[in-house]
Amino acid sequence: MLHIKPILSSLLRSKSGPILLLIQIILSVAIVANASFIIQERLALMQRDSGIKESEVLTFSLFNFDPLIDKTAQNKIDQQILRGLPNVIDATSTNMLPLSGGGWSSTLKLGPDPDSTKSTPQFAMYLGTDHTIETLGLKLIEGRNFYPHELKDSLDSPSRLAIISSVLAKAIWPDESALGKVLYEGKDAQITVIGVVEKLQGAWIDSSSLENSVIQNVDYGSSSYMVRAKSEFHAELKDAIKKALLAENPNRVLDGFKSIEALKDSSYRDHKLMITVLTMMVVLLLLITSLGLTGMVMFNIQRRTKQIGTRRALGAKKRNIISYFLVENYLICLAGGVLGGLLAIQLGQQLMKIYSLPMLELSYPLFTVAGLFIVTTLAVYLPARKAANISPATATRSV
Amino acid sequence: MLSMKNVSKVFKTDLVETHALRDFNLEVNEGEFVAVTGPSGSGKTTFLNIAGLLEGFTHGDYFLDGINVSNLSDNKSATIRNEKIGFIFQGFNLIPDLNLAENIEVPLRYRGFNAKERQRRVQEALEQVGLASRLKHLPTQLSGGQQQRVAIARALAGEPRFLLADEPTGNLDSLMARQVMELLENINQAGTTIIMVTHDPELARRAQRNIQIVDGQVCDFTMYHQGYRHVSDINAATDIDKLVANADR
Repeated sequence: MLHIKPILSSLLRSKSGPILLLIQIILSVAIVANASFIIQERLALMQRDSGIKESEVLTFSLFNFDPLIDKTAQNKIDQQILRGLPNVIDATSTNMLPLSGGGWSSTLKLGPDPDSTKSTPQFAMYLGTDHTIETLGLKLIEGRNFYPHELKDSLDSPSRLAIISSVLAKAIWPDESALGKVLYEGKDAQITVIGVVEKLQGAWIDSSSLENSVIQNVDYGSSSYMVRAKSEFHAELKDAIKKALLAENPNRVLDGFKSIEALKDSSYRDHKLMITVLTMMVVLLLLITSLGLTGMVMFNIQRRTKQIGTRRALGAKKRNIISYFLVENYLICLAGGVLGGLLAIQLGQQLMKIYSLPMLELSYPLFTVAGLFIVTTLAVYLPARKAANISPATATRSV
Repeated sequence: MLSMKNVSKVFKTDLVETHALRDFNLEVNEGEFVAVTGPSGSGKTTFLNIAGLLEGFTHGDYFLDGINVSNLSDNKSATIRNEKIGFIFQGFNLIPDLNLAENIEVPLRYRGFNAKERQRRVQEALEQVGLASRLKHLPTQLSGGQQQRVAIARALAGEPRFLLADEPTGNLDSLMARQVMELLENINQAGTTIIMVTHDPELARRAQRNIQIVDGQVCDFTMYHQGYRHVSDINAATDIDKLVANADR
């Protein structure tokens, strides 16, 4: 039997301690629920699939200082050299590096008249080669890759091809295939979609159009390169790349060797920091709450030693004493959980307004309250068991 | 009703063994009103605790209402305390945060009675002690005598086989002490066995039988007074008065 009514009466008649604990629980629930939600949001962002074999793709920059060099021709030679290195799966040059925080973005028109037709959503604009898909490890789900002879040397070409991400394809043509569709750049340039990849993220992790990407068949002759090889070969591959490219032309500098995984880590550094800080806050709040609960139970046991002895003398079994303290604290917890949950929703709405965070899901306050019940049980059970061991003979002692 | 045979209680520390009770023998019959007296440290409280199953003992046998309660589990002891014994404490031991009805309900809840039965018993018990109108009052709103009457009501509500009273008038002035004593006498006359530990020779004289505990052993003086059911040996009163006076000196 839980004897809720007399416990509630008793709580209502000596309020000060329970009220302080209640306030602590309300604030803890409100903060923990929102912090957990933000942590979960950030984790979900970090765990998004980029579509790229992040750990296998090694990127670097190559700066040519030879004024006489034909950069486009040299770029093609360099790509050939890279592809020929041991353990290299594929390699390509690129105008931008995925998840790096910097790159190109654009929109295109859906029709030839720039004034009257709609634009595509914003997308990351990769200029790549027939090796880009294999180098990044993308999954082509519709259409085909570029053929080598289809590569253009510059964006000036009026007729170009594109492979786009499936998210972008669905955003533009929700009910039909993107293959063969034409996008327009100004009045003259037409870009025909020839393939769709399952996923390809752009460069800006906080952008709402991160999943929108377009690869165009423009071998731009950029200074950025991507080389794909198993990550265990990256250290020796770095040396091999330097050696091979400098052997081809020593008047240049190679710099910034980083895997896409490392670029991604760097981009998500702020998110990781926030997760760490919020996690510490949640743990500390739960710890403080559990200490508060334990403290109050221990104080109550000391204050009520004779009362507990009397209860035992009057027939309370040990389990009755344990359940008394558990129920008493569950009641405080329940009240704190309900009020804290409401405060959490209010706080969530304010955060949504001020910091453009998504709306707090109701499950978070509920899970927080459930977690709080577990914390309460853990925090109260041991002292309550100690209380249950108070001898019934205490009732006859003059304490 | 209560039978203790060669009961001993030894408290042990690393250095000392203290014999609180030694070869303690006592028979209390159903319907008796027994006063237990003795000097401080003689073992009265230990006897009361053992009699009320509040603590165990080292040797001997103890039968309560025909049940050998010598080696009961904690749960079983709690059940017997709850069902068969009513406790009246010197300091009343009411729970300050609960009103009178809730205080009286405490043992009834442990017994598993439903709300209706609890309410009936609370009402009856409070009527018996003349406090039926104070159901919702808190203990602090009552005088000491009234609080002890509530404690008696709490003890009676479970309809116990016997009452154990530990200095029931110890914290009361003489007028209130007399009222409480009269209440206990009425309860006893209604058939409930009472064992009362007291320092007060006047109260002890009003019991049917006096047990004097000295050094953890019983000095038994049967004392039947006029006005009680079996009046036979009035001279014993003189002896018990002397003993009690010596003990209090």
